[in-house]
Amino acid sequence: MTKQFLVFSLLAMAIGAGLLASAQDRQAAKPSASTAAAPSASPAAGRATVHDDAAERIEGEKRFKANCGRCHMAPEKFPPRMMATILRHMRVRATLTDEDTQLILHYMTQ
Amino acid sequence: MAAPHDCSFGCTRYWCGKPAFPDGRRALPLQRTIVALIFLLTLASSLRAQSEDTDVQRPVPIFSAGMGFITPFQGGQPNLDPLISPIFLIPIGDRWLIESRDTFESDFATPPGSDTFHGVIQKEVDYLQVDYIANPYVTVTVGRYLTPFGIFNERLYPIWIRDLQSDPLILPIATGPSNASTGAMFRGGFAISPKVNLNYAAYYSTLIAVSPVDSDRSAGGRVGIFLPDQRLEVGGSFQHLLQDERSNSFGFHFAWQPPPIPLDIRAEYARSSRGSGYWIESAYRLSQIATAQDYLRNVQLVARMQQFFVGALPSEVLPTANTQEFEFGLNYYFRDNLRAVSSYGRQFSSLGNVNVWTVGITYRIVTPIGHAGAD
Repeated sequence: MTKQFLVFSLLAMAIGAGLLASAQDRQAAKPSASTAAAPSASPAAGRATVHDDAAERIEGEKRFKANCGRCHMAPEKFPPRMMATILRHMRVRATLTDEDTQLILHYMTQ
Repeated sequence: MAAPHDCSFGCTRYWCGKPAFPDGRRALPLQRTIVALIFLLTLASSLRAQSEDTDVQRPVPIFSAGMGFITPFQGGQPNLDPLISPIFLIPIGDRWLIESRDTFESDFATPPGSDTFHGVIQKEVDYLQVDYIANPYVTVTVGRYLTPFGIFNERLYPIWIRDLQSDPLILPIATGPSNASTGAMFRGGFAISPKVNLNYAAYYSTLIAVSPVDSDRSAGGRVGIFLPDQRLEVGGSFQHLLQDERSNSFGFHFAWQPPPIPLDIRAEYARSSRGSGYWIESAYRLSQIATAQDYLRNVQLVARMQQFFVGALPSEVLPTANTQEFEFGLNYYFRDNLRAVSSYGRQFSSLGNVNVWTVGITYRIVTPIGHAGAD
């Protein structure tokens, strides 16, 4: 029993260590909030970002009207974390596509 | 295989049936160890996902509820129908969701010889399911879920969504007791071309005879094609009952929202050995009327026509005679989540023709359980 317990503990520790290392790698790879929020160095790049964002919002609104409006009235906008949950629920309930879910979430959280 | 061997208390070979300890306890079998490891791994993954995800869009658990107070008058007999339907949505990590909906409702009526309303509160577990979004094409659902047959049961049933408060006559066809099934389901939606989406659901349900979580043993599925630009969806459903008469049921659904006008048109057809029928419903929002915009844009006109034909086998939940019904409704939206509803209908059957009136109010709340982030 002691031997089995030891093997079990070692395996659990190994998995835990692996997960911890993986989490640290991800954290290192993820840009920090300040980096993400920083303005682009180049004005052209900044315009492109704004343009992309506006296009995504327009496409998101279109997908919202096509998908959500099929069953119910357009709801008020909720805080972003609530919208993330609601969209996950609606993705399952209304079999939304992955792309529709992302674009609607983007539109509803702007 | 299990080779004969000499062992005493303390043997840790997983196939050895002898107790590991003098008091009769057995050693931890390998299978249990594996299960425990998988559990730990899953738990650790979800905890890791929660701890490292600092995005403002990290989902938060939500409590929601649809509620209403409907007063139907069927054949001149008034009833009082309060209803509350709480929903819990609990996201875990990036791919999991635990969701449940219960319904507490009553149908208060005046028994013959009495002036007061009497009734009992009915409780139902509509769904209690765990969803795992495996990839962009497949979501795995396990637990008790709404039977995906047609579109009304899954999408239009909630009291705050439905345009007319009465159920379609064919709703009980192939949806099982309480309109739910218990088992596992694969479902998803994806684009098969830039202008066409495909959605599907395939499920297996087991027999449970205990109320309020009863379900039939069955297998089935639904497939739909959605054209986003035209806002048009057509699809079909199928179910094979794996108990009793082992019959097949099938159905078709149709939904269209012509983009230029605020009009919804929906229809379903269903056929089974216990009955068949169809309903077609249209709802028009008066938001394009130029006069009195402040009021008229909140008004919705609804009409529904339906027919039911008795099948070869009897049913406890379907009408016992061929029936047809027309209904007209008028709803007023005070807000997107609060509205007054009313309708008038006339039901024709060989058992007698009756008028069906409803008036009521419906409401829906949504609130986070925890910090929801910035507005």
